[in-house]
Amino acid sequence: MKELLNTIKEAVINRKRKEIEGLVDDAIEAGIEPGLIINEGLIAAMDVVGAQFSADDIFVPEMLASALTMKLGLAKVKPLLTSEDQPSRGTILMGTVRGDMHDIGKNIVNMMLEGAGFTVVDLGVDLTLEQLLEEIENLKPDILGLSALLTITLPEMERAVQEIGDKGLRKNMKIMVGGAPVSKTFAKEIGADGHGADAAEAVALAKRLMGE
Amino acid sequence: MKGERPPVGNPTSIVCHDLMDLCGISFPEAHLNAEAMAELALAGHEIIGFDTVMPEYSVDQEAAALGCNVDWGNRDRMPDSRHFPHEDFSDVIFPEDFLEKPSMRVLLDALSILRRHVGGKAAIIGKVMGPWTLSYHMAGTQNFLLQIGIEEKEIVHRMIRQLMPATLASARAQFQAGADIVVLADHATGNLVSPRHYEEFLLPIHQELTSAIEGPLILHVCGNCTDRLEMFADAGFDGYHFEWQVDAKTAVEKIGHRMCLVGNINNPEVLYQGTPDDVYKQARYAIEAGVDIIGPECAIPLATPIENLKAIVSAVHEGY
Repeated sequence: MKELLNTIKEAVINRKRKEIEGLVDDAIEAGIEPGLIINEGLIAAMDVVGAQFSADDIFVPEMLASALTMKLGLAKVKPLLTSEDQPSRGTILMGTVRGDMHDIGKNIVNMMLEGAGFTVVDLGVDLTLEQLLEEIENLKPDILGLSALLTITLPEMERAVQEIGDKGLRKNMKIMVGGAPVSKTFAKEIGADGHGADAAEAVALAKRLMGE
Repeated sequence: MKGERPPVGNPTSIVCHDLMDLCGISFPEAHLNAEAMAELALAGHEIIGFDTVMPEYSVDQEAAALGCNVDWGNRDRMPDSRHFPHEDFSDVIFPEDFLEKPSMRVLLDALSILRRHVGGKAAIIGKVMGPWTLSYHMAGTQNFLLQIGIEEKEIVHRMIRQLMPATLASARAQFQAGADIVVLADHATGNLVSPRHYEEFLLPIHQELTSAIEGPLILHVCGNCTDRLEMFADAGFDGYHFEWQVDAKTAVEKIGHRMCLVGNINNPEVLYQGTPDDVYKQARYAIEAGVDIIGPECAIPLATPIENLKAIVSAVHEGY
């Protein structure tokens, strides 16, 4: 069993997109619990990949390919999970601010959050404030994650955080922000609850914001 | 010849709402009409006091001419494109009338207008997207980067090489139209892709481009590129426009003797959120570090206060 889980982990680390589904099938057939496949195979791999990314050993192309490999594996196992096996850690609404079309970073964070057991609702890119406010009211998420890549769209992030606060929507919802030009200082100045410098930090932050 | 002070320059856009209001020209007009484009560029020289004029406010001119369906945005929104014509990595056919496409014509005409107005008085900067950035436009950024992640090297090499003629034609035409300098922006961004990727996929292409284009070229690559500065010099560029994440002193130490360095006032925390005094301090830091041309690190947020842009000019006018 250990060996099969290790093969899955290595396949994610080494971005073997074509092999991952077969490997996960093998593990399921061998009777390995879905929770173990996720935590000790897929997620354990992403912990390694996240650390490699933080250390500049790999960059976004490799991280993206690993995350997509993990996602393929996850899609195979998820249907087998009962809600008792893996209760949701919380609901996170994710999106890229208005004027910004960039979503790779956000997509990687989404996949990592899902892997970690959060329910992620992705609103996509170029979100207007009206869309954002409406979705918050509808879904009542525990956390809102806002992303921006361009320095030219950072003011939109500030405006969104401000408006959401003014509308009184922050009482039961935390806001986390991220993206290449977003620093801890900027996040603090605009009044966000937290900032993740990369995908691994974002997952740790989300757990912290949920009081874990 | 160093003179008494460094120039204040903008290889990327310094258009902000204040500047639009003062000269009465807004987006999308300034992307689509050559007169408006040139006039807004002039305002950066005449109203703010920059020593350069740069009339391209988007990253989409070549992409539109190659078939991307660009939404030119409005006063508050930069242009963008959500459709990638070569998502399947099909062959890119370089159109014979590339330079006559509206998005190219407007830029070339604007450069010629600027030549007539400020030629010899302000440096006229053109801007061209490199083949890496054009690949993002053609195939979609995530899709393109994924091919690198899964080591589909042939696909990546082929796409970049097919887009080289667009970069080459655009840069040459901009010099002919009146540009003194052309900025080549190619977003093999620090923290996004590795120095190894740059070296393997892009360095040879950049070397070919710098040999084939006659006229001074400034490379613009965002992000923290401290780990690949020497490669930019090896690529044969005359200058490098860099972000605040690369420390000015480090940049000067590593490549200051090989390239003209341009930058690197922080956009989000200093130009947009800071005070004129914060801007002044950073500009002085860059001057004292030995940066050759002082300006913002990248295209500025539209809500940047004009007083902060003027603070760069004041700091520079104090001289070395």
